[in-house]
Amino acid sequence: MSILKVKDLCASYSSSGPEILKGISFDVAENDFLAIIGPSGAGKSTLIRCINRLVEPTSGQIYFHGQDVTQLSLRELRKIRRGIGMIFQEFNLIDRMSVMDNLLSGRLGFTGNMRTLFKAFKRQDIDSALKLLERVGLSDQVDKRADELSGGQRQRVGIARALMQDPKLLLLDEPTSSLDPKISREIMNLVKEMAFELKVPCLCNIHDVQLAMDSCNKIIGIQEGTKMFEGTPESLNKEKLQEIYSMEVL
Amino acid sequence: MKAEEIIAYRSRNRGRGFFIYAFLTVIVLWSVKVTIVEDTDWERMGSIGKVISSAARFFGVDFNLFPDLLIPSLETLMISLLGTFLGVLICIPATWFGALNITPFKPITYPIGRLMMTLSRSIHEIVWALFFVSVFGLGALAGIFSIAVRSVGFIAKMSAEAIEDINPGPIEAIRSTGANGFQVLLFGIIPQVIPQVLGVIIFEWEINIRRSAILGLVGAGGLGLVFFRQMNTFNFHGVTAVILAILGIIIIGEFVSHYVRKNVT
Amino acid sequence: MINKSITSTKMTGHVTKNWSRIKYPDSYIRYLIWLATLLFLTFSIEYLDIPLERLMGMLERMGYTLSNRYYPPDIGYIMDLDYMEYVVETIQMAYLGTLFGLLMTLPLGWFGSYNLTPSRRFIFPIARLITMGFRAVHEMIWAIIFVSILGFGMLPGVIALTFFCTGFASKLLAEEIEVIDMGQVEAIRSTGANLFQVMVYGVFPQIRVAFTGIAIYTWDVAFRAATVVGFFGAGGMGWYLKRNVLQIETERVSAILFSIIILVLISEIISAMARNRVMKMK
Repeated sequence: MSILKVKDLCASYSSSGPEILKGISFDVAENDFLAIIGPSGAGKSTLIRCINRLVEPTSGQIYFHGQDVTQLSLRELRKIRRGIGMIFQEFNLIDRMSVMDNLLSGRLGFTGNMRTLFKAFKRQDIDSALKLLERVGLSDQVDKRADELSGGQRQRVGIARALMQDPKLLLLDEPTSSLDPKISREIMNLVKEMAFELKVPCLCNIHDVQLAMDSCNKIIGIQEGTKMFEGTPESLNKEKLQEIYSMEVL
Repeated sequence: MKAEEIIAYRSRNRGRGFFIYAFLTVIVLWSVKVTIVEDTDWERMGSIGKVISSAARFFGVDFNLFPDLLIPSLETLMISLLGTFLGVLICIPATWFGALNITPFKPITYPIGRLMMTLSRSIHEIVWALFFVSVFGLGALAGIFSIAVRSVGFIAKMSAEAIEDINPGPIEAIRSTGANGFQVLLFGIIPQVIPQVLGVIIFEWEINIRRSAILGLVGAGGLGLVFFRQMNTFNFHGVTAVILAILGIIIIGEFVSHYVRKNVT
Repeated sequence: MINKSITSTKMTGHVTKNWSRIKYPDSYIRYLIWLATLLFLTFSIEYLDIPLERLMGMLERMGYTLSNRYYPPDIGYIMDLDYMEYVVETIQMAYLGTLFGLLMTLPLGWFGSYNLTPSRRFIFPIARLITMGFRAVHEMIWAIIFVSILGFGMLPGVIALTFFCTGFASKLLAEEIEVIDMGQVEAIRSTGANLFQVMVYGVFPQIRVAFTGIAIYTWDVAFRAATVVGFFGAGGMGWYLKRNVLQIETERVSAILFSIIILVLISEIISAMARNRVMKMK
């Protein structure tokens, strides 16, 4: 059964603007780690953001566990969103808050307003947070402010925060573009491991093709809003890459 | 276990924060009681209905007044302009003294410069107006001086900060050509800060329009005087007309300021 | 060999035959603006009957007035308990006005920010309009209006200060909100948080420091206004000022002015200290 089924997805940034996505369709199954590659401006980021409707699609359907996300009301959408974790290129941590508070913010979809106001999260949330912190190797940074961490550390907090939601799907928007090559590899490995451990499928937008091929089990290539390729990393050869990127690949 | 520590620590912080807020709320409630509740003449105010009808007296514009408002509006604009201009003149020594890098004799002149700025900003323009009216008599001159002295604080402070933040590189370069202090000032410092300073001056001029409009309340010329008269003769619709006129010249001021800032800075 | 390579390099770029300090049309517009301003200034001086020749003499007179009529300030007059009560009233009016003004600023600044406003077509322009309206009306005019509606006392004073502070702070707050990192807001939204949670976690931490700065600044301005609103009947020290100005008791007036200056200076020092602590918080 596919966790996520995208059908003929179209999107543009403004009603009169150019179409960014021109009818994309693909599936994400239970154990998938799907990588999306393509040149900049192809619409990869937009695609990821359409899944949880941070960007509103103009047409098409997105079936998450059988429910069409595009048709949901705001309240229902929130319920869906809390089941989808997201990891960002710029980490998007709350800079002035501690690592612990950042992790707890992942549980906001499950927390009431009063508790939010007083930051009184449940005991089990704090336990989960501590466990995840240990798993990503940041136990000793619990009370550090988020802006005191290095890039790699921040992204690990980002990963932990997304996993705090106990998600059924992980969205990753260029998670390593702001990190140096060695750390990028570490982060992608960490995500791969934890996604496998927790049995969470991943949809990852990535621009480093090699890294994509090493981390995923399925690849989608997008160019100018249309899907040019779908298949396993092994079947992605030079010609196909050239097609997707329309340029010489080294 | 770690989790217990964390929970205890967070509860403690929450408790402390809550206590502080509760304490502050009590103080605020006490203040409200002591000032508004006890001091207000609730009898005289009457019911909500009476209050609303009192407020409704202002709803309406006396259009007949408009021709008589043109000249005071012009006066107000003139006072604001002259006042700002005079203020800039007074700012020259104030900024010179109040900027750490160009002040002539730091232990004495710097505090004097700073004092001038603080004094100017601390005293409300109405107070300045009262003073200058008692010196110069009723009329625009008192208003001009009030505006001038009131503006010094902001303009001098911003200019001094701009001067203190300049790039020392060009200064070094000019000095190395053998220029004297004054030439360094003219060619090195002033060109760097002029855009900022002009922006600040125009910004303050806009605010001064607002101030000039009410100085007439204490006799310093402009629309304020008309406002005063309309209030005294209980012509509330006239009062609204004056307020609209004031809003009008403020809008004009905003346009002019926007246009000039674009072209000059 | 070397000579050849030098002479064989050509520098591209057109040659300016004439250079002058005055460049058309940028300089043209600039000098026009300067000229217009200067002309208007001169015209104003004429129109307002400003006696430039007598100005020097007037400044002398100012010195005389200061030293004879305003000095020595009648300190005894302000040292009495009644006056102190008024001083406390002034302080209370100021912080109540600031507090209520800031409370109203929270929604108004939010609605008036282009990135976070719930509706860019309706709520945003209305919020901006209200902010501009509150700002444009001078705090003294607010005071006079409310005194005429509500009578004398501190209530009109507090309300006038509230309206003034709302306008003043809302513009600043809206500008602060417009420069926050929307990525953090996106991240919180993506966890399924509702609007309230997005505000508390995504927006508030980012504007907290700036908002404190705005609050301190607003207090500064409000306090200065509070010392004077009493002049128009809205409670506080200003009332004493009016009484003595009308009776031309200049020595008492100067004592009152002196007390105002002292109080404002104390408030400035406290504000500066608070601002330093806020800087450290960053």
